[in-house]
Amino acid sequence: MWTVYFKELLELVRDKKTFIFTVLVPIVAMPLIFGGLGYLTSTMFKKSEHAELTYAVFGKEHAPQLSERFAREKGFREVAVSDPALIKQAIDQEKIKFALVIPPGFEESLDRHRQVAVALHYNNAVAVDLTRKRVTAVIDAHNGALREAALSALNMSKAELRYALNPIKLEEHSTAGNRERMGAVVGGFLPYILLMVCLMAAMYPAIDLGAGEKERGTLETLLLAPIPRTQLVLAKFLVLFTVGLTSALLMVASMGVVLSLFGDALGGQVTQMVRAMGLLDLFMVALMLVPTAAIFAAILLSISIYAKSYKEAAGMISPLMMLILVPIVVAMLPGVELNWFWSMVPLTNVSLAMKELVKGTMDYRMFFVILLSTTLIAGLLLAWCRWWFTREEVLFRN
Amino acid sequence: MIEVKGLAKRFAAPVHKERRAHARDPREHDGWFHAVRDVSFQCAPGEVLGLLGPNGAGKTTTLRILSTALRPDAGVATINGLDILATPLVARQRIGFLSGSTGLYGRLSARENVEYFGRLHNMAPDHLKRRCDLLFDQLQMNEFAHKRADHLSTGMRQKCAIARTVIHEPQVVILDEPTTGLDVMSAKILLDFIASYKALGIPLIFSTHHLHEVEKLCDRVCIINHGKTAFSGTLADFRHLGRSDDLYDAFVSVINEDQ
Repeated sequence: MWTVYFKELLELVRDKKTFIFTVLVPIVAMPLIFGGLGYLTSTMFKKSEHAELTYAVFGKEHAPQLSERFAREKGFREVAVSDPALIKQAIDQEKIKFALVIPPGFEESLDRHRQVAVALHYNNAVAVDLTRKRVTAVIDAHNGALREAALSALNMSKAELRYALNPIKLEEHSTAGNRERMGAVVGGFLPYILLMVCLMAAMYPAIDLGAGEKERGTLETLLLAPIPRTQLVLAKFLVLFTVGLTSALLMVASMGVVLSLFGDALGGQVTQMVRAMGLLDLFMVALMLVPTAAIFAAILLSISIYAKSYKEAAGMISPLMMLILVPIVVAMLPGVELNWFWSMVPLTNVSLAMKELVKGTMDYRMFFVILLSTTLIAGLLLAWCRWWFTREEVLFRN
Repeated sequence: MIEVKGLAKRFAAPVHKERRAHARDPREHDGWFHAVRDVSFQCAPGEVLGLLGPNGAGKTTTLRILSTALRPDAGVATINGLDILATPLVARQRIGFLSGSTGLYGRLSARENVEYFGRLHNMAPDHLKRRCDLLFDQLQMNEFAHKRADHLSTGMRQKCAIARTVIHEPQVVILDEPTTGLDVMSAKILLDFIASYKALGIPLIFSTHHLHEVEKLCDRVCIINHGKTAFSGTLADFRHLGRSDDLYDAFVSVINEDQ
């Protein structure tokens, strides 16, 4: 059995494609992609928060104070637009980002303590609506000033004033630590990446080990070697298992190194979270990967040995990728949390458990139940794969 | 000594929409395709048996059963008295099998390919080394022993496949259409190998479509048609069937009489 195992590994090591998928992708490409993406997102956000907003005001003469407030505001620049009818055109041409239309009699209404509406024209077809957020902030500030002026005319004390403004104030006390909050974010997509890497790394070798042997015509000879089928299946299974697991573990390690070295550039909270995660938690995440890698290995091997050629195997494995994604994505949905129900759903439970481990809120009883059930499923799949390997219809489909 | 008696093997027939087109094959009924129905032959030490028959007659299935890759539904197959169906793992140690479609592991060198199968046959390391050295000398493979199989020419690959087939010193050799698709020189490597094994007194079976190979090497001939043995006997007997000395006439008359 080990003869087969080491020979397969030797062949894989000599293959550049596998090497790239197993070692380079998880160690270099993945952290680079996600680190780069994270860095890009945060800089783009910062940039657009301070980017210059051009705007036009109509009816400035009706509200000199408000217009002055906008003019004073940092990052706002007024651009003249001749006619309110041209607002849409100006926004479409990106001459201005937004336009305010102040109705006549603005100041008079306010003096009579009546509410007035100011129209805001802008394009809100964006994912994150920063224009509105920034305009609202200015209006809110002006509202506050007006409100205070109106109320102070009533000669109220500071305490009464606070009451009049906000009778009830909500005080937030978060029970979640820093790690838990960041963990909920990072732990959401970490299992997704880990499991994908684990599956992807084992995919190419899987095709090589099953369908590849058929296509090259080496399978028949291998089956005629005096070793029992069980050992043959086990050897091939272990190769895929080794590759998938190694790849995922390499990625955990590489992510850890990248975060501890460059974490500050990405945001201090992530770094703190990584530091708060002890070796034990990391070890448990790795432990979760073990039976999962076994599940992937058994499924991939069964498909691959059934296929007649590389092409067929690749064709059959692609839909499998989509299928395996479903339970992992389910774990990212809001409201799906680790409880006894979800701990029974394969792969979803693993994803949820990893998330809890990152957050540091793992229920350890559940951890062992998940570990056990996943191992059990992996064992069943392996037994099935072994049976599959003894079928003449599968091995000699041509 | 190889003895095969009453071998039969059926496969689940694929469901065809156009049933009529396939109903013509007498071997398909009740949802089963009876690829091999009744095949018997024998091959004594030092004899070469040629297995002939039209495409799809059941030659490959028969040889796969003989090499323990497939399990037959009925029949007996023995090698030097050993029942290969009862103890396939033991039988595999005694069989050297090579088919025309057999490949090599492209990312392993010629030597590694051969050694791998030696190790699978549980050969002791020093024994394996000696055996390898001997075979590589005999087949003149030393100059490319450490080249990867991907970079070898067809002739080199052929030698490599032969070395792999006999690395474990088999007691019988089975070749399934070994020369199909090979050029003359590559085929010659194989035919020389068959001749050298005949001289060693090892029974050898090979299936082929080339009657000149049969003429040159075989002592016995077995013709399979529609999964049944249509003829089994010595080459001399076979020659007489065609009422001339031409094997081609003999072959055609056997197939025609059978239909």
